[in-house]
Amino acid sequence: MAPALHLDLAIIGAGPAGLAAALKAKQLGIKDLVVFERDERPGGILPQCIHNGFGLQKFKEELTGPEYANRYIRMAADHDVDVELDTMVLEIDKNRTLTAVSEYGGLRNYQCKSIILAMGCRERPRGAIGIPGTRPAGVFTAGQAQRMVNIEGYMPGDTVVIQGSGDVGLIMARRLTLEGAEVKAVTEIQPYSSGLIRNEVQCLHDFDIPLLLSHTVAEIHGDKRIEGVTVTEVDAGWNPVAGSEKFMECDTLLLSVGLIPENELSKMAGVALDPQTGGAYVNEFLETAVPGIFSCGNVLHVNDYVDEVSTEGEIAARGARHRIKGKLSDEKNLIAIEGDETIGQIVPQTINGQRQVTFTIRVKRPMEKGTLRIGDIFEKKFAYARPSEMMRVRLPKKVFVEMKPTLTRLNVSCEER
Amino acid sequence: MTAAKAASLPQMGDYDVIIIGGGIIGAMIARQLSKFQGRFAVLEKAAFPGCGVSKASLSQIHLPDFCPPGSLKGRLCRNAPARFKKLAAELEVLYREVDELWLALEPAQVSNLEVAKARAESHGAAGFEIIGPQRIRELEPHVTPEAVAGLYARGLGVIYTPEWNFALVENAVQNGVQLHLQTEVVDIGKTKDGIYRLSTHQGTLTARYVINAAGLFVDEIARMVGDGHIHLSLRKGTMLIFDKSVSHLARHMIFGSFSESHSQDIAPTAHGNLILGVHYVKTDKKSDTQVSREGIQETLKLGRQLIPALSEKDVITSFAGILANSNMSRDGDFSIAPSEQAPGVIHVMVGAPGLSAAPAIADYVIQLLGDAGWRTTEKADFNPRRRGWPRFETAPMVKKQQMIDSDPKYGHVLCRCEQVTEAEILQSIRRGARTMDAVKHLTRAGMGRCQGGFCAPFVLKQLANELGIPPTRVTKNGPGSHQILKMTKAVADN
Repeated sequence: MAPALHLDLAIIGAGPAGLAAALKAKQLGIKDLVVFERDERPGGILPQCIHNGFGLQKFKEELTGPEYANRYIRMAADHDVDVELDTMVLEIDKNRTLTAVSEYGGLRNYQCKSIILAMGCRERPRGAIGIPGTRPAGVFTAGQAQRMVNIEGYMPGDTVVIQGSGDVGLIMARRLTLEGAEVKAVTEIQPYSSGLIRNEVQCLHDFDIPLLLSHTVAEIHGDKRIEGVTVTEVDAGWNPVAGSEKFMECDTLLLSVGLIPENELSKMAGVALDPQTGGAYVNEFLETAVPGIFSCGNVLHVNDYVDEVSTEGEIAARGARHRIKGKLSDEKNLIAIEGDETIGQIVPQTINGQRQVTFTIRVKRPMEKGTLRIGDIFEKKFAYARPSEMMRVRLPKKVFVEMKPTLTRLNVSCEER
Repeated sequence: MTAAKAASLPQMGDYDVIIIGGGIIGAMIARQLSKFQGRFAVLEKAAFPGCGVSKASLSQIHLPDFCPPGSLKGRLCRNAPARFKKLAAELEVLYREVDELWLALEPAQVSNLEVAKARAESHGAAGFEIIGPQRIRELEPHVTPEAVAGLYARGLGVIYTPEWNFALVENAVQNGVQLHLQTEVVDIGKTKDGIYRLSTHQGTLTARYVINAAGLFVDEIARMVGDGHIHLSLRKGTMLIFDKSVSHLARHMIFGSFSESHSQDIAPTAHGNLILGVHYVKTDKKSDTQVSREGIQETLKLGRQLIPALSEKDVITSFAGILANSNMSRDGDFSIAPSEQAPGVIHVMVGAPGLSAAPAIADYVIQLLGDAGWRTTEKADFNPRRRGWPRFETAPMVKKQQMIDSDPKYGHVLCRCEQVTEAEILQSIRRGARTMDAVKHLTRAGMGRCQGGFCAPFVLKQLANELGIPPTRVTKNGPGSHQILKMTKAVADN
């Protein structure tokens, strides 16, 4: 292998986080950067998201996924961003050495001053949730089906049951209906939907597709191709309610049961992961515990809106610039951000008070008429909060400057009034 | 191995020996038989060999510490690891050495270890030692602190059975054995010359000798030649595969206790995941490979008794296999014997450790063929070597670059979890994979943590392209298991 090439910044992933990070980095004057993308096209998952609803924050208009991606792809091209397609990053280490491979470039090593991790997330497969039954053809994850329908032009089947009310599942319920399939039901094991309300309304209600809360697919039937599923009601402990079993005939089962940040490379580099988010522990620059390695977008924590994924890319790019310029000291006076038992996830998990901070918070359970508190520096009342809708709180730098320098911990909590 | 190479059935005519069943036992017999002169065939009812019980196993190569003194199975698996190691080199397949650690979790179980040690030694296997808790912790820091003693032995192994199954069949075909896929035997008759006529959905095949290596269906084949007295009792065993991120939890083949309802066994797989088994329930259906919630929970419970840190959230997939016990077997021993009714037919009935014993089972069957009158003459031009193809993921960096230099498609990673490249997927299809599952078992594309979430559409497209069929005709594992049912409106309209 040829000797290592030098880079100021390597960005792993050309989805909405990676492209926005690359664009911002160029705008901030980082010239020597490469974006590595394993797929044959840039845009990450967006090219297969042909529905609209993207870009309201970033572009003040409603775009489809491909349109949103194309805007960033064009802007990146205008700024001479180098995107290496069909290129897989095989390894990175804590010294920021990176090994990439592609058909045309072979194996290459890079020594990078900074790295932004923007690999996105993957779907939880059937095995991870252990649905009992046979193993016939016709069981897909929702995103897999989305790629098949919208990119390849393949129709998975005619009669469909969808397990899990994740947003991709809801979107695919509508998409398959429009393609002429009959979507019999979406089952959700929780007593509340795990997708956005707007998707529940626009993708299920508008098409009279039943959403069965506190229900799950208890068994898969069929030897060669799936022939049906047994759906049962579950109690609060997710145990099947005896006598509630119902057989639903179908030739296709889609799974939309959660997304997992794809952190295999992060682990290789020694980046510590937060079990709550499945992503890295980061500070307000989105820098991980490994100096010079940043994490943003769905590899950091699964977001609700693509616009916010891109914004995180921009924050990471700013952090990378500071790191390259030597302006990020390895701070000792870190303030730990700690959620109590009402908080499902919070990012960042530490701050050092050097810049404004955007906290993203998910509650653990749905709540009504509550108050969100961050230490004694911030308080906000809310009408409702759901795990599926991320709350964002931006606090300006001056808040932290005013704080006592001895502060080492900020507690975050939500309380019903 | 390709369909084109398989002779068209009606003209195929007579064989000296037909092996019914292309699982790991049938494949091993075929490969060993191909060292001799003669006309041999393997009949496999599935679209790809090794998709039955062979696939759904722990894929471990044991020493005879499970086998009672004087048993046939003890004799046949005495040198199992050494034989597999030699074959691995010849066939260019994966064999990974793993050491054994059989744990006693309470003082009363220590005598089990002593009995196992004595069993192994009765078959001539040496090197077994009983070790204490401190040594156990040194070897395996994550096992339960309750372990009071362990039986420790070096030099066992793990393989990936579908890969071996394919390689053995391929090497047999290379040496002249005919392979008939999707060829299910439905009846067996006899000509007046004493030649067996095997009726299949693909036509009739004749042979002087028939080896019944039909696995779970050995009783049904036996009935076709008049041996109606053979019955199988079935148990379904559930196994779990864990994400590679927890592979540090077990480095040995770790055993606990054994009973009718469980075999407590956690070990690395050939590919570096952990596999955990086995919780058994009785079943009366051979096709009952459904995994139940209870089966998963009970299996996890078995695992946590040995390694408390095992967690459900790290399970990437679960599966069930059927273990058959024949009424011909005495005390769980193998029963490999000529038919009582039909001279020239040999029934092969083996339970665990059938995989470990497979090379010696093949030799034994060939010896029985000799006893039945078949004249064995060694072939001068037998080629024991089968070329594998290198795996990108596990190759060292220098080798990776050489692979890309020789074929740039080695630089195109399609399965991101297992780092399987386009070159490997194409190779598997060109060597005979016709289904999604076959590609998966030969390359590992789709076997990682995302279970094909990203690469399955690519594999489907590659299969369609290479086989020259529309994507709607690509199947998961043979006729009826189509992946997609039609094209979208926009595509169909064009």
